[in-house]
Amino acid sequence: MENKNTIEMHHIDKTFGHDTSKIQVLKDIEFTAQRGEMSLVIGPSGSGKSTFLTIAGGLQTPTAGDVRVEDTPLTAIPVKQRDALRLNKIGFILQAYNLVPFLTVREQFRFVDRIKGATHMTEDELMTLLADLGIQDLITKYPNELSGGQTQRVAIARALYPNPEIVLADEPTAALDSERVTVVGQLLHDLAKKHNKSIIVVTHDMRLKQYADHIYEILDGSMRQAS
Amino acid sequence: MYLAWKEIKHEKLRYGLIIGMILLISYLVYILSGLAFGLAQQNTEAIDSWGAQSVILDKDANTSLQQSMLTKSQTDKMTLTKKESYVGQSAIVAKEAKHAKVSAQFIGLDWDQFIGQKLVLTSGHKPTQANQIVVDDGFKTSNYQLGDKIQFNSNTETYTIVGFTHNAKIDIAPVVYGDLSTWQTLKKLPDTFVASGIISQNAKYQPGVDQLKNYSVAAFINKLPGYSAQNMTFTFMIAFLMIISLVVIAVFLYILTIQKIPNYAVLRAQGVPAKVLVSNTINQALLLVFGGLALGVGLTALTAAALPAGVPIAFNWPILGGVTIGILLTGVIGALIPVKLILKVDPVSVIA
Repeated sequence: MENKNTIEMHHIDKTFGHDTSKIQVLKDIEFTAQRGEMSLVIGPSGSGKSTFLTIAGGLQTPTAGDVRVEDTPLTAIPVKQRDALRLNKIGFILQAYNLVPFLTVREQFRFVDRIKGATHMTEDELMTLLADLGIQDLITKYPNELSGGQTQRVAIARALYPNPEIVLADEPTAALDSERVTVVGQLLHDLAKKHNKSIIVVTHDMRLKQYADHIYEILDGSMRQAS
Repeated sequence: MYLAWKEIKHEKLRYGLIIGMILLISYLVYILSGLAFGLAQQNTEAIDSWGAQSVILDKDANTSLQQSMLTKSQTDKMTLTKKESYVGQSAIVAKEAKHAKVSAQFIGLDWDQFIGQKLVLTSGHKPTQANQIVVDDGFKTSNYQLGDKIQFNSNTETYTIVGFTHNAKIDIAPVVYGDLSTWQTLKKLPDTFVASGIISQNAKYQPGVDQLKNYSVAAFINKLPGYSAQNMTFTFMIAFLMIISLVVIAVFLYILTIQKIPNYAVLRAQGVPAKVLVSNTINQALLLVFGGLALGVGLTALTAAALPAGVPIAFNWPILGGVTIGILLTGVIGALIPVKLILKVDPVSVIA
């Protein structure tokens, strides 16, 4: 039987520093993400949300505990294999510096094709994705010609372009107005439901709550399921 | 290569400036190499054209043909073959009423020996009578022609130009080929002095006279006045330029890489392998250096075409190839210095 879990995190601790400067950022985190579901992780600044996201995405390893992405134990594999896992299975939507500054919007996607050695979408499919995000007219623009909201939407499109199994989003709606928040929220929700993806969003934006299947709150490094 | 080329195309001014800087460095290195080779060539053109393997000189002449004298009593004890030729060298000033004076090197020959026999003329003929001379094409830049009657130094005797030859320079001065008797006259020597030395196409020719010594052509050339010092000066200038270009290219690439760290961190977070970013940096350095070198070669070719004939500049493919490979290598080494930065890029920094 197929395992529906895409990310499993058990007893995760993360500590920075040594001795007296030691700070425990995450404490005994238990988290599971499944296909076809969108999870929201909320919490105040400094609560450990971003550290949680970096560990879930294999960008860093926990001090203790076990992380599995698509059944692969991240703590047991070398950096190259973690890179490959991110490249092939995970789409990141980041807050800042999302786009390569010297590539046009179209080239941002073609660059992904070049790295992975495969064309992920036809021109029509790409234009449909961009149209869903309202950025189809920006295809020939460079990032410095885009507004903050447009940049964020292109970054979302780029993360979704290689059709990843898991999407990890760090404040994906930070630079968007309410109308666009609705579009992005619905798009992420549809990805989970219609395309059976696993979506994990770390955010302050409570407007996204309505699209989530599960909401988790991190407070002082501890995670609990919120209502 | 994709990222490297796209970035250069997008940031035309920034990368144009770097290419311009590499162009100037490569242009300077090419011109200096051309001058170094041209000057070295003009020191030894005539000697090279003789196909000599060794030079026989008085052992107390400090390996200088001009300072050496062979006496009749010495040459009487020697047996010359078809591979040996007497030469008498004297520095002269050639003058003619209608033309500018030319500082030259007089080489007195026995025209029946191999140097005289094998001398290739570009126009005219070899001397058939006394007081006839063959001169280097360099005289043509001062408008000397066949039939011109010239005098040497303060002597009143006139000599007629009956032939021109190419690539005949010693000590960066054009050569005047004449008789050994003319050399004696110029040096104001009695008949007991026969020549300055013997040029041999046999590396192991032994004169059999205690006072005379066989020197290899390489040893003889290295002792030409100023030759080694001049070559070393150019070599050091070119080497320092290479080192400077290495430092400049490395500094530019280092700064560019630092500016791109946030972008690289995002790409690393997305799983783009570090080797893709490293190869991008090296490819970009190669593109920049290739661009600069290509423009440098073009500018050098234009300069060489525009320089007056009197400028001793000459190009030789092995030297140009060596210089080009040297600059390319400095570019690659310069690009490798910031590689450590790329390998240490922390993808967490874009999220945390």
